[in-house]
Amino acid sequence: MGTCSRLVGQIIKVRAHLTSKRSEIEPKLLPGDLAIWFFIFMELLVFGIFFISYAVMRIQNIELFNQYQLTLNRELGLANTLLLISSSYFVVRAVHSIRLNDVKRCIHWLYAGLAGGAGFLILKSLEYSDKFSAGIGLDTNTFYMFYLSLTMFHFLHVIPGMLILLAVVIQAKRGAYSADNYIDVEAGASYWHMVDLVWIILFPLVYIIR
Amino acid sequence: MKSAYNIHLIWATMMLLTISSYLIGEMGSGGVVATLFLLLVAGVKAVLIIRDFMELRGVSFLWRAIMYGWLVVVCTSIGIAYMLGNL
Repeated sequence: MGTCSRLVGQIIKVRAHLTSKRSEIEPKLLPGDLAIWFFIFMELLVFGIFFISYAVMRIQNIELFNQYQLTLNRELGLANTLLLISSSYFVVRAVHSIRLNDVKRCIHWLYAGLAGGAGFLILKSLEYSDKFSAGIGLDTNTFYMFYLSLTMFHFLHVIPGMLILLAVVIQAKRGAYSADNYIDVEAGASYWHMVDLVWIILFPLVYIIR
Repeated sequence: MKSAYNIHLIWATMMLLTISSYLIGEMGSGGVVATLFLLLVAGVKAVLIIRDFMELRGVSFLWRAIMYGWLVVVCTSIGIAYMLGNL
């Protein structure tokens, strides 16, 4: 009887050990909820097609693309890239803060992220204003058609990204998030990083690479 | 604390890589080497965002394959198109 109970005890120990090992090697879940990731993948697919179309169209219009690329304001492009990277970094800090149950700090970092996004929108608007006042539009030439449509399409993603972060701030202020419940914070952050990721490719492609 | 330190370093690295890309553009560098270098820098920054900002390090292979696959297809296609343009 004693041997039998020792054996059962050993089996329970081995099972517990195997279960803990399995949980150690299981991949971690995507941050946020799955729905936002399907949205992100769809957005990346569309932007990817846009980027490749730009590169392919350039093959037939190299002189035109090289000539008019020089008319773009690379300083504003650089400033916008630094703003978006920093904004993404602030949002990462917000996620880290909520995991530590520091709601106040999470809200502060989200505000900093939003400020980066607002700075991006202001600089981009100045850039567009400069181009539009010079009479440049979608029908000016193939390069400007791509430049305006690509950057405006991205611009239109920055706005909902900021609205999502703003909604997260409002919910955080209402006490909706804690160290045990922060899926929405991660989801909003993931979308914001997607906006940054797309710009990271767009900036060298349209403003720099010749 | 270690992971927070890494995030600071990753942010600083991306800022420096961005400034280096801008400076190469200001030097008026064109051609195959500059194009490949700028694409590589953009690719490295994109990997840092996917891995460390989006926190896809350690998630299931499928999700990582989709994200990194997107990056590889986009950067490779752009690189090939620019090479064809330089022929």
